[in-house]
Amino acid sequence: MEQPRVGTDIQFAICGSAGDGTIAAGDIMKRAAALMGFKVIAFDIYPPEIRGFGKCISRIRISDAQTYSLKRHSDVLISLNDAHAIPHVGEVRDFGAVLFEDNSIAELPEGGHISAHIRAAQVPYGFGIREISEKATGLARSRNIAALGYAAGLFNMPPGIFHQIIAEKFAKKPRAVTEDNTRAFDAGVEAAARVFKLDDVSVGRPLSAASGADAVMMTGNGAIARGFLEAGIQAYFGYPITPASSIMERMAAALPREGGRFLQTEDEISAIAATLGAGYAGARAATATSGPGLALMTEMMGLGVMAEVPFVVAVSQRGGPSTGLPTKTEQSDLNLAVYGGSGDAQRIVLAPTNVEGCYRCAGMAFEIAETYQTPVVLLVDLYLSNRFETVIPPRKNIFAPKPRKTPKMGKGEEYQRFRLTESGVSPRSIPGEAGLTHTVTGLEHDEIGHPSDRLHNEMNAKRHHKLLPATHFPGLTTQKRFGDSGKVDVGLLGWGSTFGEILETLYTAQGQDIRVAVMKVVMLSPLPVDEIAAFMDDCTHVLVPELNFEGQFANMISGATGRPVTRLTQTTGAPMLVDDILAELHRLIDSPAPPPTSSHRTAEGVRA
Amino acid sequence: MASPLHHVIIGSGSAGFGAAVTLRKGDPDCRISMMTMDSLPFYNRYDLPQIFQGRSDWRDMLAVPPTFFDENRITLRRHNRVVEVDGVARRIRLAHQETVGFDTLLVCSGGRAYVPENLTDKLPLMHGMGSYEAVMRLYRDLPQGGHAIFIGGDMIGIDLMLMLVKTGYSVTLITTPQTLWPHEVSDEKRGKILAALADKGVTVVDSARPVGIDAGSDQGAARVVTLEDGTEINGDVVVPACGLVASVEFMLRAGVDIERGLLVNPELGTSNEAIWAAGDVCQIWNDEDKVYQFCHGWKNVRIMGELAAGNMQGTHRDFDVRVEDRIDLDEAGNIVSTFWEH
Ligand SMILES: Cc1cc2nc3c(=O)[nH]c(=O)nc-3n(C[C@H](O)[C@H](O)[C@H](O)COP(=O)(O)OP(=O)(O)OC[C@H]3O[C@@H](n4cnc5c(N)ncnc54)[C@H](O)[C@@H]3O)c2cc1C
Repeated sequence: MEQPRVGTDIQFAICGSAGDGTIAAGDIMKRAAALMGFKVIAFDIYPPEIRGFGKCISRIRISDAQTYSLKRHSDVLISLNDAHAIPHVGEVRDFGAVLFEDNSIAELPEGGHISAHIRAAQVPYGFGIREISEKATGLARSRNIAALGYAAGLFNMPPGIFHQIIAEKFAKKPRAVTEDNTRAFDAGVEAAARVFKLDDVSVGRPLSAASGADAVMMTGNGAIARGFLEAGIQAYFGYPITPASSIMERMAAALPREGGRFLQTEDEISAIAATLGAGYAGARAATATSGPGLALMTEMMGLGVMAEVPFVVAVSQRGGPSTGLPTKTEQSDLNLAVYGGSGDAQRIVLAPTNVEGCYRCAGMAFEIAETYQTPVVLLVDLYLSNRFETVIPPRKNIFAPKPRKTPKMGKGEEYQRFRLTESGVSPRSIPGEAGLTHTVTGLEHDEIGHPSDRLHNEMNAKRHHKLLPATHFPGLTTQKRFGDSGKVDVGLLGWGSTFGEILETLYTAQGQDIRVAVMKVVMLSPLPVDEIAAFMDDCTHVLVPELNFEGQFANMISGATGRPVTRLTQTTGAPMLVDDILAELHRLIDSPAPPPTSSHRTAEGVRA
Repeated sequence: MASPLHHVIIGSGSAGFGAAVTLRKGDPDCRISMMTMDSLPFYNRYDLPQIFQGRSDWRDMLAVPPTFFDENRITLRRHNRVVEVDGVARRIRLAHQETVGFDTLLVCSGGRAYVPENLTDKLPLMHGMGSYEAVMRLYRDLPQGGHAIFIGGDMIGIDLMLMLVKTGYSVTLITTPQTLWPHEVSDEKRGKILAALADKGVTVVDSARPVGIDAGSDQGAARVVTLEDGTEINGDVVVPACGLVASVEFMLRAGVDIERGLLVNPELGTSNEAIWAAGDVCQIWNDEDKVYQFCHGWKNVRIMGELAAGNMQGTHRDFDVRVEDRIDLDEAGNIVSTFWEH
């Protein structure tokens, strides 16, 4: 079980049918909590079906200390539709609250009301949600806001902050919408004032209310878009695909305003081709896609590596292979992102582990791509793409592009676009720069770019070696260790969104007096092998939890260090549960230490 | 294989809980659904006065841990108000528009505070004491050392009054003829008991009839009770304690006999063979006196619940209406009652 934290650490789950305003209510709750100064992590699940059908859930975790994932158990469930909410009653912890409609207008079959499913240890709050909305506004449409008001009243959250968020949310609608919703909210608060609070859920005062005003609620995709914009993105080409589309939607709205170019292409191949073209022409250019789109893009990715063109591809993974599970999360495109394509086409792959990381990685991706003249893949997944977190962005833009240096040629010196240098980085020019004419091709080439197989080995080495310093790119966290220092019983290595659950596992395990450390690896290509190997030196067992079947990251780590690791893989379409990681951790502690294997020793030799 | 019997119990007090436990013991396979308007799982209501001694966490009052219901597969449905029972089709209707079928129904809906007719419109100005939430509200609204006015002095009220004076509050009791409900005592004994109450610190206003209750001003008392003779008594809260009326409204179309409570035979069956009743809600046939009578008190209703459940499953046992029902003064002048023996 997750350990209860001191202070506020509450997870709300709001569940309804599409059209009930579930996601809108969740949105208001998370923004209000953020404005109150709480740290917020939220994740919405929408139905894949068209609007009007299907289940929506918004889960919002608010806390005064930073948390890293959603909790397995919610403290409060608000049902806007019992048929959808009934399967989720079980997620409410003992003495947590279940809020529901107890005055429905439709006939219900036996067991169709949520009250039949609430455990004795959970606290029921039945109230006339529809009636409150109708009395306050004349319509049932504000049921979601009435229920929100009831929750805010019950948990003593300041109504003024909700009023502000409601006004912001409906600012573009006629004034009456804000007024109606505010009235419905207040009526909910008032109804809650008449009930006796029996649960033990309490929302305290946040530790840093002052930071509320600076905090911005962002999804992973929103953070990527914001990072791109702050980094001065000039061109975006894309083709919509779940769960990456919202990056494109933001670009479509923002980029033309900022003087950039946006184009929805006919498919992913065109999208990456145009992105590569823009990158070649010197623009900061990006595209975004998901696994199936990336599969189509691999050829152009190879061209980017070969022609040494900087551009950025954001990839939000979903369940695969093929069309797979469009609305479920997975981390199974790691191999494709790192290795996909023909030949030895090493590129830079960054996998942020939280929303703030999405913002930072996206903000720095162009500079990294330009520094090493290579495509950069920003690898996230549906869970991180759609998850909301509070981020406090720096007051001043730290990602603004620095002026590009044009290569200076000595008199009579021939410009060599692909010159073999000590660092492997060649002088880059863009088309149209006087005296820097060059050829670019997907064929292997010599230093001036003419097709030739003469330097294939050297060029391959150059394209690999030039990337290695990226593992220490200034200002970028490419890996980081947390937890106990020195020797530990278990070390967990994680990447991407799963790292949130890994961190939560760490804190729970430390509370159980287990010596444990974790390392997040943000740069997946090239791998910060030395740091990973040093971390593994300290661990009796190394556990690698990830959301794919084969243990793609584990294979990568094992391959790079030559050491055994324990895989914990799942493809349930949902984030990994802290309890599952913890159980595996306990299993490892109870099992004997793995004997040193020959591959272990060989790897040390390799590293030395 | 025949599908398991579905027993529905209305009410989760002593009677309903005792019945559910017995039903499960008697039939490991049956379905048991317990419908209640309460928010909490079963707790002993007689513990409620202890809230004034600081025992206010409801979890400490539960008679069994909440897991008991899961372990015994008793579906406890809280915030469920039964609005109608169809005794022919054998189904109940809940306020939220759900219909639930039953094979047998046990009605244990207890009673609610009786409020004198002339004061019913003043209910919003009164504090109940029938549930945890009600007593907690009373606790919250009564300032430390404040003044509670009791209209009537039933056994539940007296218990609470004694607790209040013991914990530093002041109490006024305006008595009515039913003062010591549910006990029937002589005038002489009644006088002695009222004197004992006065001795404990309760201000007794005997043979007075309240005719009005008003909210006081912001500066002054929160409540003003006006008596028939024009006297005004200022206090912080007003508590009705004139006994109970059985909660039977939802049974009116069930096709069973009702007088003040549900009429049951000594086996606690109603006039519908599928419907039974136990606890404060029912009036039981007393063959000796040839009357239907109520039998109150947690011990009695618990036994009733258990007995009714057994009879629903085929045993044939009668409830003994000659229950011990005493109220007295002990040598030290304390009021004692079988009602308060826990
Ligand atoms: C403060 C207090 C102190 C007490 N002290 C003592 C004492 O010291 N000694 C003693 O012997 N007795 C005491 N009693 C009284 C004793 O508790 C009652 O006799 C006993 O509670 C009656 O039990 P019951 O199961 O019949 O009904 P109750 O306990 O009253 O329960 C009735 C149940 O029916 C439910 N219900 C009612 N109508 C509906 C409906 N329409 N739909 C669904 N559910 C419905 C209610 O929600 C409740 O769960 C006290 C009671 C109180 C309130």
